[in-house]
Amino acid sequence: MDLAFYKEQLQAKEDMLSSTSKYLMEIQHVLKEKNEEISEINEGIFESIQFAELIQKSLLPDVEVLKIFLKDASYKVIQQIGIGGDAVFIKNTSHGVLFGLFDATGHGIPAAMLSISGVLMLNELSSSVNVDSPKSLIKLLNYQLNNTFNNDHSVAHMEGSMFFFSSITKKLSYCSAKGKALYISLNKKIVELPYTKHSIGEDPTSDYEDFDLEFQKGDKLILYSDGLIDQFGGDLDKKFTRSRLKTILSDNLNKSAEDLKLVIVDEHMKWKNTRQQTDDLSFIIIEF
Amino acid sequence: MMENIIYKGFEFNLIYRCSYSSLFYNSNLEMVLCIADVEYIPIENFKTIFDSISELIEKHSIKHLLFDKRNLRTFHQPSMEWYFAVWKQSIKEKGLVNHYKILPDLEWFVQAVNAGKHEIFKKYNSNLLNGIRVSYVDTIEKAIDDILISTNN
Repeated sequence: MDLAFYKEQLQAKEDMLSSTSKYLMEIQHVLKEKNEEISEINEGIFESIQFAELIQKSLLPDVEVLKIFLKDASYKVIQQIGIGGDAVFIKNTSHGVLFGLFDATGHGIPAAMLSISGVLMLNELSSSVNVDSPKSLIKLLNYQLNNTFNNDHSVAHMEGSMFFFSSITKKLSYCSAKGKALYISLNKKIVELPYTKHSIGEDPTSDYEDFDLEFQKGDKLILYSDGLIDQFGGDLDKKFTRSRLKTILSDNLNKSAEDLKLVIVDEHMKWKNTRQQTDDLSFIIIEF
Repeated sequence: MMENIIYKGFEFNLIYRCSYSSLFYNSNLEMVLCIADVEYIPIENFKTIFDSISELIEKHSIKHLLFDKRNLRTFHQPSMEWYFAVWKQSIKEKGLVNHYKILPDLEWFVQAVNAGKHEIFKKYNSNLLNGIRVSYVDTIEKAIDDILISTNN
């Protein structure tokens, strides 16, 4: 190779370096513009979700209503992205109080819309019909949800349980459609309450069952959604589990409902640590 | 000096060699291999090599061309512009179907090629891309596999 070859090669290398730098700077500029565009869109979405979160939170019931009928109560709802499908229902009737916890299918906006619709339907149903059992309310909700959202095929449904405390008979009854609940006696015995294996809204012909629950003064009841026990975390990235929840409950039996709520939230946060929240999460604690 | 080479059982005959590159031909595959032997090919030599390829394409009805650039370390924009705007346009109607390319396994070289193409397509229009199917492959064997698959189909 002669000198002319090396001279041309050197010039080619310089040109290559210059055009590549120019090209990469152009790409960087385009990426910067796209990033700014995405940031603006994200900001809009984030603001919408924040506002929707405020709306959904304002629909949550007043726990003080429960405390009129029962010794103590507290609840917590932490939706995965601020809004979500978990809902708490509390409503006094002419002869007692209804309370329940519901978990709509999915996450985020569609789940929030479904759970808000479900709660509004429950409000309307419990006002317009003289409810004599949680089962009749769940059956009506099942029919109405199915009729509204799943006429052609099942896309949206909920699971959860409805309890009724009669201020006349002082008896507690409940109907659970896959809703999870633990009953904790003062002697630290923890019982998982039985439930019907049909969700709400999936099949208009589903039948449910009413259960009576005998309680003693000082006993506790916790209704919870799957998001509480299914949270991934810990050193081995495992689920929080029902067994861990049971341990927390038996270790903190003497605490008030509010303090017990704070312990559960704290333990859950520690378990989750920096991981993303697995699902919408909610629970209600009752003391008799 | 290497005269013939064999890939996947196909023997390629050396039909042209200069200080910068070698051309090999296999009639069964109707394929020409152009292998860059040095870091840089001056533009006049580049044109000579590709003009030789044009002659081969016309003479032997070659359908597949592979340009192995793995030895190159300098990307030359004017050569690439000539390739796209002049050579490729002149060869469009002469029966070449596939142009396989093997680049050096160097990210900066790949980006230099992208920068070059970007400039060319800004200057001309995207019609320059039409006509011959261009595929980037890692090895000569992969190009042969592709040809065999398309032939069997």
